[in-house]
Amino acid sequence: MAEIGHGGKEIVERIMEPAQAKSKIQNLAKIPVRSQIANEIIGIAYGFFSPLQGFMGKADVESVCKNMKLANGVVWSIPILFDLSDEEIKQYGINKGASVVLTYNDNPMAIMEVEEIFDYDRKSMAAAVYGTDDPKHPGCSRTYAYKDKFIGGKITLINRPKINPPYDPYFVPPLELRKKFKDKGWVRVVAHQTRNVPHTGHEWLMKGAWFQTYGELSIEKPIVGVLVNAIIGEKRKGDYIDESIILTQDELRKSGYFGDHNHLTTLTFWDMRYAGPREAVFHAALRTNLGLTHHMYGRDHAGVGTYYGPYDAHHMLEKIAKDLAIVPVYSMNWLYCPHCGEVTSEGLCNHKKEWQKFSGTLIRSIVMDGVKPPRLIFRPEVFDLVMECADKYGFGSPFVTDDYLAKRIPVFEIPPM
Amino acid sequence: MAEEKYPINIWINEERFKQLEKAGLSDMCEEMLAGLKVFRVFANDAQRDKILKVFPTAKFDSATTKSIELLPKDVKDAIFVKCVEKKSMDVLDDFLKSY
Ligand SMILES: [Zn+2]
Repeated sequence: MAEIGHGGKEIVERIMEPAQAKSKIQNLAKIPVRSQIANEIIGIAYGFFSPLQGFMGKADVESVCKNMKLANGVVWSIPILFDLSDEEIKQYGINKGASVVLTYNDNPMAIMEVEEIFDYDRKSMAAAVYGTDDPKHPGCSRTYAYKDKFIGGKITLINRPKINPPYDPYFVPPLELRKKFKDKGWVRVVAHQTRNVPHTGHEWLMKGAWFQTYGELSIEKPIVGVLVNAIIGEKRKGDYIDESIILTQDELRKSGYFGDHNHLTTLTFWDMRYAGPREAVFHAALRTNLGLTHHMYGRDHAGVGTYYGPYDAHHMLEKIAKDLAIVPVYSMNWLYCPHCGEVTSEGLCNHKKEWQKFSGTLIRSIVMDGVKPPRLIFRPEVFDLVMECADKYGFGSPFVTDDYLAKRIPVFEIPPM
Repeated sequence: MAEEKYPINIWINEERFKQLEKAGLSDMCEEMLAGLKVFRVFANDAQRDKILKVFPTAKFDSATTKSIELLPKDVKDAIFVKCVEKKSMDVLDDFLKSY
């Protein structure tokens, strides 16, 4: 049976077996790509970005910027682009109609059919996608860093990435993940977007979303799951290290705060754009492809600084609801109320004067000092694992340092063919 | 005008709270989050300047809290231990002597 993804299109993996590809690529130009492009090749080839079949051409970019839709009318919010400098285009002799090999770690990764070489005004692209052309916005600065020209065309993966431990069990592409959901008997699955080590505020976001998603369904058997889909991509100094993020999210299940019957953790390779509302729409497409029926959105989803209002993403999703195959579930913040003696929702408890809100900054400061927070705030198993990961993977630090950036275990590698 | 004071925030969980109780300092803690407390050791101008000089990772939050942030964990641990030992919060001069 066909697996239908975002935009009502069938999800088709664009993967050629290496044995078959070997002879095809012998005489093709080999172009090394950076990690962002490698992440996106994986996104396209496995169907995370379905219905995209390759890097966008000009008509798609134009339409995405102006109408938030692909040229074929399917909702899409963020341009997926492959860029090269004029010099590189000359050096590799890239022409429209040619095929080239994109390499990563000096090994062949994908074949690209060059359909178009084009230019696009970066400032208008940034303004359309991010609602600002401020170069201080991390998404804008990523847009401005694109080289002279964009190359549009279909991608076929010819060499599967080798996912390194401890990440390997968490790379579950759309078709495989959909099968997992069926095996578990889940009829609804709600996405929890994360780039964080969970404190109980996050845990309750998931629990709240799970309740909302259960809705009118029968409770006789467990049929609703939470998928934690961690975004793994470019790191900034001071972020939690990736190993901690993925392992602690799963630890909530292993330690029994959730269970196999309602919780699963996987990852998606993607360099965050911090596009706020447009990133929320991108997440809706991505998680539709992963087979989810619902998606949790909190306040200021995927925002940065003060560029977006706390409910901008919700308003955007409401506007395009009829074009989405995933139901947004909105969540209020959770906090600790000493009067209630528990973590509660700001929409429920009325002891406003007594509330103790927990910010990520406060928790980070506590974790940085190696002090174990109360279990109502931060699960002891999660804390112990953060410290273990700091030793094992973080060169002594739970947070990204220069050392980590220079010497970390790559999340994936492209092996020799 | 009273001399300005700049806090160093030391997080106090149950285990550390017991040590502070023994040292007679537990009343000096302030409740922060679900039983987690903060113990503030205050620096004066001279102590603050020396701290920022000898611990280059440390930052002075001049805009909002006037607190000294991002001190290395072992430094904060050592300040805490000294407070418990001396049963006093006035330990910074003594602590900074060795730097
Ligand atoms: Zn309350």
